[in-house]
Amino acid sequence: MRLTRRLLDTLAVLLAVATVFPIYWMVLAAVKPPGEIQSLHQRPWTLAPSIDSFHRVLAVDSFGRYFLNSLLVALVVVVLSGLCAFLAAVALTRFRFRMRTTVLVLFLVAQMVPIEALTIPLFFLVRDLGAQVPGLGLNTLGSLMLVHTAFTLPFAIWMLRGFVAAIPEELDEAAQLDGAGRFTVLCRILFPLVAPGLAATSVFSFITAWNDFLFARTFIISATDRQTLPMALLVFFKPDENDWGAIMAASTLMTVPVLIFFLLVRRRLVAGLGGAVKD
Amino acid sequence: MRIRLAAAAALALTVTACTPSTSSPSAAPSDGGARTGTLKVWLFDEPNRAPKEAVVKDAVAEFTAAHPDTKVDVAYLAVDTRSERFKGAFNDPASAPDVVEYGNTDLPEYAAAGGLADLGPAVGAWPEGADLSPDAKASATYQGTLLGVPWYLGVRALYYRTDVFAELGLKPPTSQAELTTAARAIRARKPELFGIAVGGKYTFGALPFVWDAGGDITSINSAQSRAGLKAYTDLLKPDNCPPQQCADLTGGKTVELFASGKAGMAIIGNFNRAAVDAGAAKGKYAVVPLPGGKPGSIAPAFAGGNNLGIMKNSQRPALAADFLTLLASKKYQSKMYAAMGNLPTLKAARAEVAGQDPFLAPFLSTIDAGTKFVPLDPGWGKIDAQAVLPTMIEKVATGKATVEAATDEAAKAISAALGK
Amino acid sequence: MTTALPAVRARPRRRVWTPLWLLLPAAVVLGTLFGYPMWQLGLLSVLDFRQAQVSGGQPTRFVGLANYAQLFGDSRFWSVLGATVFFAAACVVATLAVGAGLAVLLTRISRVPRLLLSLAAMAAWAVPAVSGSTVWMFLFDTNLGLVNQTIGATGFNWMYGRYTAFALVGAVVVWHSFPFVMVTLYAGIEAIPRSTLEAAAIDGASTWRTFWQIMVPMLRPLLAIVVIQSIIWDFKVFTQIYVMTRGGGIAGQNLTLNVWAYQQAFAASEYGLGAAIGVVMMVILLAVTLLYLRTLRRSGEPL
Repeated sequence: MRLTRRLLDTLAVLLAVATVFPIYWMVLAAVKPPGEIQSLHQRPWTLAPSIDSFHRVLAVDSFGRYFLNSLLVALVVVVLSGLCAFLAAVALTRFRFRMRTTVLVLFLVAQMVPIEALTIPLFFLVRDLGAQVPGLGLNTLGSLMLVHTAFTLPFAIWMLRGFVAAIPEELDEAAQLDGAGRFTVLCRILFPLVAPGLAATSVFSFITAWNDFLFARTFIISATDRQTLPMALLVFFKPDENDWGAIMAASTLMTVPVLIFFLLVRRRLVAGLGGAVKD
Repeated sequence: MRIRLAAAAALALTVTACTPSTSSPSAAPSDGGARTGTLKVWLFDEPNRAPKEAVVKDAVAEFTAAHPDTKVDVAYLAVDTRSERFKGAFNDPASAPDVVEYGNTDLPEYAAAGGLADLGPAVGAWPEGADLSPDAKASATYQGTLLGVPWYLGVRALYYRTDVFAELGLKPPTSQAELTTAARAIRARKPELFGIAVGGKYTFGALPFVWDAGGDITSINSAQSRAGLKAYTDLLKPDNCPPQQCADLTGGKTVELFASGKAGMAIIGNFNRAAVDAGAAKGKYAVVPLPGGKPGSIAPAFAGGNNLGIMKNSQRPALAADFLTLLASKKYQSKMYAAMGNLPTLKAARAEVAGQDPFLAPFLSTIDAGTKFVPLDPGWGKIDAQAVLPTMIEKVATGKATVEAATDEAAKAISAALGK
Repeated sequence: MTTALPAVRARPRRRVWTPLWLLLPAAVVLGTLFGYPMWQLGLLSVLDFRQAQVSGGQPTRFVGLANYAQLFGDSRFWSVLGATVFFAAACVVATLAVGAGLAVLLTRISRVPRLLLSLAAMAAWAVPAVSGSTVWMFLFDTNLGLVNQTIGATGFNWMYGRYTAFALVGAVVVWHSFPFVMVTLYAGIEAIPRSTLEAAAIDGASTWRTFWQIMVPMLRPLLAIVVIQSIIWDFKVFTQIYVMTRGGGIAGQNLTLNVWAYQQAFAASEYGLGAAIGVVMMVILLAVTLLYLRTLRRSGEPL
């Protein structure tokens, strides 16, 4: 038993190394001098590391601003998406109503549309919306938050639906018998129990909002101080003249916050249910 | 009851939503707009922006000194985002700038969208405007209207390894035949190198061969075009650059291969100088113009570059024209060369920088020998996106089609796209 | 997961928390941001709508099914569609296998290896698709790549053969997608009551049997989402193909539907044609998903 565990441990570590090797290569390319990135003698190390590429990336005007913009959008999307999805999931599992399956399938269909096809209609929608609601128009971060919440909702609803459905209704009823109102049941009983599911959808929402290139450049046209981090990465792509070192450095800087976010929600993700669920 | 209300509401919404949203073109002020206020300028961002920004700051300072009560608001866009940004600007006049920098191959697309203003009068009234070479002006003219001022150019020439040539006793080629012979010699004697790095996806490396033979993109299946194409694909053979390794190379990859020392020659631009100097080939190369078929001739190069233009829905066109002509003046073009290495478009500026840097000589001769451009038609964007020309080259290089069949197929796609 | 509700019993009337109130926020967001654009999508697909029309330069023209006719009449469309279906299917199967396998592995290892593996997978998921594809492209470059140089195969072009190219891009897609499957299924497995798993262990069930006979049935709803999600994403894959095959491979041999749609329609601002392709993609995905859901329903999974 212990031997199997050790073997599995080793296997897991090897797989981790294999999985992370391209990331390591990316970081390595970010610190290599330009001549070594494209060279006939590739080495998994460099004897002349330099943070020049990082300097070029950080020198991008308002890089800090872009970072904060991305962070704000991603966090708001996580909260909004999680909240709306949780409520919707409760509605779709704890109640039976006629349109239930249709609604569920509609949510699913929403994800099937290739987003590039929607950019022009969405562009005009956001533009017109901005005329009515100042914070949600073109050139605002609100438009990005709204769009990403919308695009992460279907998956989050479907995911949380499973988790809510797995919680026996007896728990609700037991709590209500003890005098808890519906709101309390929602917050104190259901919410904590779907925590692993919420953690998974949070990570998904965060990554979707954080790594978005398309909407960031479709909606933010002239307000350069509202741009998000992917725009900083795109600066270094020039046809036939790509600055690979800076691209890798910018990619590294984009990857790190997501890992930090993951580390923060990890405990929730991993937390078992203990004895909360009786069979 | 509730359902009926909902259905009625949906129906009403449907009726009103029956047409897709469009924007309405706004009119530019006929008197040239206000002469004060904020001028919005969009320029392209660079991986190393500081030098460019310094030059632009100088221009802004000079401009605001000469024009009281004005401010200039410069925004830098990543080149890769220009498509969405420009469309956004066309569709939402509130976000649109006044002066823009744009790639000259994007001109027909923007013109067809009705987004750029006519610069004929402004350039006519500009003293230095007469110094623009006719080639450059032609590449900024769409259906007879001048829609931009060429700001800088980039052309390609033949980079070759001086050490390899010295070792093998070769001389820099002065004709296409010599080029081919030299390439084969290098590969034969040094099989670890490519003679000349060429690629199936390298359109602007292949087009000079087609143009030099008298062919053109619009008649890609004519006898001359075919001859030119064959001259290029003959280089994609095992005796130079085997198709297995070279059929899918882009221009950028040939730069990397030359810089890392894998190729004896390559068709690279003046704008790739820094990349080559960063690699193993540093200090071991020289440049000559890409030779044509006739000994001593130069193959016509593609003149890529950026123009400066004014948006059609700008509310300050006169002010914009003033800033534009300042930025495009000889003084600032020379400064931009010093900062970025961009080749100026004004002949006087070119003469000035030529004297300063002998590295430019082959590129300037290439420009002087006459450059060519892609079809000035909105359909070119489609041809480029669909990769019609790279597919044609690759099919011939990999043997999937004969030159005749591939060019016929490409010609069909091209005329279909240009016809619209 | 409990599949049967307890016997019907009288419930007190709920006035405040009807399901519609709970659904309202989600419905508003999705309705506005999906309903309207999707309606527009259908509308655009029957119009001649390009940038000139968008900026108001030219009037829009109703062309009926001309866009669809142009699409279906193009033999390229069918070959690309076929390639996309096979490629997506292979990616989905591979992603699920890797993700599920690693999810189970995660439950059986010690804390530190578990942390390392989760972090590694998260890094793969977090890397922007364009960056990840670029790095893999570097690693597998013909002459300048580490892999070729290390195994002594310098000069072997992974992108030259149609199937080696697809295999490599597939590996990258799996690398980007398996963490999502792994994390989701791991969350699901952790939600299985420990007592059930212990009972199985006491009964002497091997890992394999435990997985297939205990975990999979309990994870079925989660698996359903994960499978559907993977199908949708892998069918729409764009960045990895575009970056690694430099726009579709040699003579377009590695084109998938979304890349082809981009080349044919979006890059040239032909929104009418692009919308038609979008509608077709949606219909295909819908058909596949409904088929899958029906299979699930037959096997007893209530929706």
